[in-house]
Amino acid sequence: MASKIEYVRSKIVKTYDTDEIKKLIKDAKVAHCMLTDPPPVVDEESVLNRLSALTLGNGSGISCSCCGVGPFTSRAQQTAHYKHHWHTHNLKRKLFGKQAISLGEYNAKQDDSSNVSGSESEGDDNPNTPATQLFAAATRHCKAFYSNPKGQVFCIYRCLLHHRKEEMSLDGEGHVWSHRIKELLSPAYFRMAVVMVSGGHFAGCIFVGGSDSIHKTLHSYTTRRSQGQSQSSRDQTGNAPRSAGSSLRRYNQDQFTVHVQNILVGWNDELKECGLIFYRAVGAVNQSAIFGKPSPLRREDPRVRQLPFPTRKPTFKEVKRVFHTLASIEVYDSLEHFQKALLALTGGKMPVKTTSDTSIAEQARKVQKPPQKTIDRAKSRERAPRELPTQVTSSEDEGPCYIDSETPAGWIKTLSEQSSNGVITASRKDLLNDCSLVSCPESESEKEEQAKDKKKKKKNKKPEKAEKAEKPEEKEKEKQQPVNVKKGPPKIPNFVKKMWKAIMDKEGVSLEPILEAFEGDLEAAINTQDPNDGNTALHKAAIAEKPNVVTQILNAGGDPCIRNHLLQTPYAASPHADTRIAFRMFQAQFPDKYNYAKSQIPGPITAEQAELDKEKKLQQKRAKRQREKEKQLDKVKANKFLMLTDAQKKKNVENRCFLCGSQLPKVPFEYDDCKFCQMPCLHSHRKVRPLNMSV
Amino acid sequence: MAVRVQFENNNEVGVFSKLTNSYCLVAIGGSENFYSVFEAELAETIPVVHASVAGCRIIGRMTVGNKNGLIVPSSTTDTELQHIRNSLPDTVKVQRVEERLSALGNVIACNDYVALVHPDLDRDTEEILADTLDVEVFRQTVAGNVLVGSYAALSNRGGLVHPKTTIQDQDELSSLLQVPLVAGTVNRGSDVIAAGMVVNDWCAFCGLDTTSTEISVIESVFKLNDAKPTAITSTMRASLIDSMS
Repeated sequence: MASKIEYVRSKIVKTYDTDEIKKLIKDAKVAHCMLTDPPPVVDEESVLNRLSALTLGNGSGISCSCCGVGPFTSRAQQTAHYKHHWHTHNLKRKLFGKQAISLGEYNAKQDDSSNVSGSESEGDDNPNTPATQLFAAATRHCKAFYSNPKGQVFCIYRCLLHHRKEEMSLDGEGHVWSHRIKELLSPAYFRMAVVMVSGGHFAGCIFVGGSDSIHKTLHSYTTRRSQGQSQSSRDQTGNAPRSAGSSLRRYNQDQFTVHVQNILVGWNDELKECGLIFYRAVGAVNQSAIFGKPSPLRREDPRVRQLPFPTRKPTFKEVKRVFHTLASIEVYDSLEHFQKALLALTGGKMPVKTTSDTSIAEQARKVQKPPQKTIDRAKSRERAPRELPTQVTSSEDEGPCYIDSETPAGWIKTLSEQSSNGVITASRKDLLNDCSLVSCPESESEKEEQAKDKKKKKKNKKPEKAEKAEKPEEKEKEKQQPVNVKKGPPKIPNFVKKMWKAIMDKEGVSLEPILEAFEGDLEAAINTQDPNDGNTALHKAAIAEKPNVVTQILNAGGDPCIRNHLLQTPYAASPHADTRIAFRMFQAQFPDKYNYAKSQIPGPITAEQAELDKEKKLQQKRAKRQREKEKQLDKVKANKFLMLTDAQKKKNVENRCFLCGSQLPKVPFEYDDCKFCQMPCLHSHRKVRPLNMSV
Repeated sequence: MAVRVQFENNNEVGVFSKLTNSYCLVAIGGSENFYSVFEAELAETIPVVHASVAGCRIIGRMTVGNKNGLIVPSSTTDTELQHIRNSLPDTVKVQRVEERLSALGNVIACNDYVALVHPDLDRDTEEILADTLDVEVFRQTVAGNVLVGSYAALSNRGGLVHPKTTIQDQDELSSLLQVPLVAGTVNRGSDVIAAGMVVNDWCAFCGLDTTSTEISVIESVFKLNDAKPTAITSTMRASLIDSMS
């Protein structure tokens, strides 16, 4: 895209070229892209009219313009809508200049990704129109833009037109600006001064017209050569060094300041005649050289302005360069040229089409429209979409394995094929389970994909023939893939169906006769996943709450690490306590049979331990019930106690708080022989019965 | 009644103060004049408290509150929190929240019943907001700005929003908030409404630059001309306090 951006050459006109300038600025106006909308006028009458016209109903009749919903029939419906995630999502889309989406689209999106932020990038909608982009670039630019009736657009540094502190309104027509540009012709602009001080270097020059009339440069040794810092700033950091070099630099700095001031005093008359004086002096030390006591320059002087761009070391050559940069006005022949140049300069991403005339005309039309949106620094920035790599760590010595969006789909396929051919090791199997989630398991979409692959291959085959000879590996892959294509959607063998049915059966049918009757790859059959929900036989047994069937399947080779479409392992899928214990007991029995790390089984447990755990839980339950009973009894007693009068309470032997009836601590809070558990109780008791009344 | 006031030559009084129906916070260290304007208007009805948040004086932008409670950002120190707790009435709940958008005043606009919040505000904060301030919370924007707290000032009687809010948006918002809303400005055309003024049900304070037109708009929107503090906080309060002591 970068290659498409054309860097448009502009014509340069110097400010001292009076004739050229005269032609240029005749009837010049501020370019449209700089103007802002005038603030709306709010007066009391309109407010009163609005208030009287406004009726606050129960939310009925009002619709949400952001989402295009409504009108709402009730307040409840309205509030429910405004609290919906969908509304928030649409609000954010609107902020980024995108179209609102309907509820259906939103839900579909939610299914795809749990991203609520509404900041995903989409190719179809372009958030920034060229007009807003141009406006954003123009308002922040250090140059001001004008257009004249000839259709030319020209740019001039803002510092030539006004002082930094002076604010000139751009609302409406920008008359102040068009008035200012006329002043370029005044003789004051014919004389300009540029003064630069930095790091012990001074360079100053007064220009009359386009040529220099007086100039002076000066250098003294004030910066620490090896460290690259001025001596004064080093001294300010704390302990100032007392070396010969440092004192030399300090002396030089003082002398330098005096010299610069002397030079400026000598130029006093010339400086007075200058219409504009530009300076570059960063830091207190450099500024004191220019604006110190004897110097004729003053900071408050509106003619004295800062340079708006970074400069190099102050030398005569640099001063001349700075002056010529400042004095040059870039002139573009048409709005399109200007727009291209500006956006290319500011790094605008808008592709500039130079081929079709219609698009240029369209762009120009867009630019001529007054900008509708101001830049919102208040709004939250768009998040760059970053994809997380899916990290799958496999056990043993194979090392970590990464699958992300860049991994070709074909690779996953070959991997799955290898596994079916028995090439792949057991530890890689868990990787495949994850892959099955990535590549959509629904048979239809798979079919389509495969069909596409087939087409692609046909196309690629001919040109690749030459390459094939060089790459035998690729050849192999190609050979393998047709096999894959033929396979089609996974067919579930009858045996597996039968087994599933037996498991789902409510009666406790033992699975052993079925398993024994089967011949062939038993393990593969058991680990076959149901295409609907991804459940294996083990999942089904776990969900059906059949502990002994679970044990049987585990014995027969059912892998407890396979996840279904809800990402649950069989253990996690089981809601039943005994079934879960069956898994754990199996792990205790055969600790090496499977890689339990991925099965989410919390750990092995023996039968005795399970028994003990059960017992413990029962006891805890019993104790809890006992405690609750006691509490209830105590409450009844406390209530009875609270029913008594204060005099009766005092006589009572029960140690209870007079206000809340709870048990008293060893040393109770008391007053007037009334006892309390806490100070707040005492306070509230006391408040109700003031001392004078209780006596 | 709308009063003009200045904080140390600065017109953004909403930055340095927080006004609700049951208390008023003013920034610590301001000139006594700023404080005394608030004191003169409010002291008979509600407490006026000097406070700081995280050592800063911009309490109006950092905190959010209504008659039921006050929420301060997590940067508030324990001493400051204790001071605020001690100074406010017992019925006002004070809560500190961990929120990424820590300038709560800028991201939340609320009255005693509803709150508009920044669309990115944390769900936890939203819950705390609903519990502490006892408000219904809506995620919204005002005139395309996410900083709803800065660009809207609300009371139970009315609200002033960013001048570029469209009429349709104003209607929708007022129907949602159940108070009349008008677009307007303060401080001679400033669009940062909440920074330029503070308001409760019977009183408003705005910057010294506010024009008379703006003042009259504010008074008519917030219905301040006929407003009086409720009986429970003025006349009855004295007698209640007498009887309780």
